[in-house]
Amino acid sequence: MTESAVIGAAITDWIEAGKPAPTAEIVAGVAMETLRQVGLRPADLDAIISTTSAMPFGSPAFLTTPAQHMGHRLAGKIGSNGLQVFNVSGACASAAAAFSIADSMVKSGKARKVLVVGYDNSPKGFYYSFNSYLDTDMAIGYPLKVVGAVNPTYWAMWARRRAYEMGKPVEDIKEVMAIVKEELSKNGALNPHARYKKIFTVKEVLESPVVDDPLHLYMISAVSSGAGAVLLSDMDSARKLTDKPVKVAASAVGGPLYNEPSPRLTYFATAGGKRAGKPFYEWRKPIEDAYRQAGIRPEDIDLAEVHDTCVFNTINWIDQIMGWEREETDRLIRSRQFGRDGRFPVNLSGGTTSFGEAVYAQALMEVYEVFRQLRGEAGERQVRKNAKIGLATAYGAYGSYGSIILERAW
Amino acid sequence: MPMEPPRDLSQAEKAEKKKVPIVEGLFKWPSDHPRLVGSRCPVCGSVQFPRSSVCNNPECDHSRPPEEVLLSDEGTLYSYDIHVYDLKEPFDYHRAPYAIGAVELPEGITVLARLTTTKDLRIGMKLRMKVDELYEDAENVYLTYYFEPVEGASR
Repeated sequence: MTESAVIGAAITDWIEAGKPAPTAEIVAGVAMETLRQVGLRPADLDAIISTTSAMPFGSPAFLTTPAQHMGHRLAGKIGSNGLQVFNVSGACASAAAAFSIADSMVKSGKARKVLVVGYDNSPKGFYYSFNSYLDTDMAIGYPLKVVGAVNPTYWAMWARRRAYEMGKPVEDIKEVMAIVKEELSKNGALNPHARYKKIFTVKEVLESPVVDDPLHLYMISAVSSGAGAVLLSDMDSARKLTDKPVKVAASAVGGPLYNEPSPRLTYFATAGGKRAGKPFYEWRKPIEDAYRQAGIRPEDIDLAEVHDTCVFNTINWIDQIMGWEREETDRLIRSRQFGRDGRFPVNLSGGTTSFGEAVYAQALMEVYEVFRQLRGEAGERQVRKNAKIGLATAYGAYGSYGSIILERAW
Repeated sequence: MPMEPPRDLSQAEKAEKKKVPIVEGLFKWPSDHPRLVGSRCPVCGSVQFPRSSVCNNPECDHSRPPEEVLLSDEGTLYSYDIHVYDLKEPFDYHRAPYAIGAVELPEGITVLARLTTTKDLRIGMKLRMKVDELYEDAENVYLTYYFEPVEGASR
């Protein structure tokens, strides 16, 4: 098996969503930037994998939106000698899935240079997960219509349940979530690509309006628009093209797991079988798969970028990545040991908390940050320790998950 | 200025409106004892809600299709959310504030449900299902399923 590497990465600034934009122009911009970083031409590419959405929810056209064929549009736009094109969906974990396909293609020898691109633009406001009028399957989407459940409903229930299982009042997890928000907003303030550069204090977070009790407004990320591109190649080519190749030590994709005991985002009900024990097994499994692929353990991870549409998810990711008792996660957070000079740095980019979420592109932002951090190119956000291994994770609706481990290879 | 109709007339109009489920097939209606409609696999016993024509257990041999089953109307509160802002059209008939619960049923599944109250909710409390009005338009009164705390059984 060939080793694969990330050799280039670029993202746009994350901006307010819901404004008409020249989608293919924006994607071509980040795509060409990654090629320029290593002096490649479009003709050098073997494949393009796109994960893109510009979704007018509820419109009868949205299943055939041109955004869903951005890979082909990009190939036409930047010029192609007939490369392989894929368009991938996996909700908020879309880009992690696209990245993993690229990694598999390089490792298998089916392609040597693969460009992954992602872009998202959605209407303003909270997401409404609802089927199109042509899709009447009730398992997903209908919870909104029938019981009024929105995405924050699930996050609120998970947060409340975690406090309950730890024998703590719900105020306790509210405070932990507010600390996460304050610390991550400090990181975002240092990131030129972040949409929000304001620092939110614990007090401001807890005084912001309650939206889905126990969640306050500033605990939830906004819907944003942004684009990212990541260029992968085989390690031999990587060493010729850059002095600082970053090895793809692992890329794992997860889906819905029968027996997951925790209510899964956008679903009506859990599966009806024997319980898997601790909740969030679905989140943990692709991480465990990635550890196996990379041959490493949780304590080998120097920093992580996690998908935190709600700051509860930041906490939950730390629980799942470290596999330790949840009290240990809370200690890490309360002692504010997850910043760039901390014990376990998380979301030095500022995370979705500071970027907002450009759903289909979000995991590329995470990969971009880990790539920059490992190469020592993160500027004011640069992690203090000599980081060698970084993890990026994503999860999303429908039971979509992905974990990526990158490792310095020079 | 148009006169407001007398209250009893409005009540009479309401009585003429047809009561219909918000979605057909989620719960048994009309019924004196409404229950959620799920499915149960005769091979492995896996229970699903809403009902499905195919078993969701990956270890099952799928030799026979799931059968429709009425689910228990009592459950335990796994967790809940109190939603406090108004949804956009066309879902704004869910009038905030309202509570959504994840309710563990004896069958081993946890289902989402509107709760009848936002007050005095506690994880672990016993709940019972009912069907009640959600909203009405010019033609119909729309019904959905709710779970409500069981009096005296919550402590």
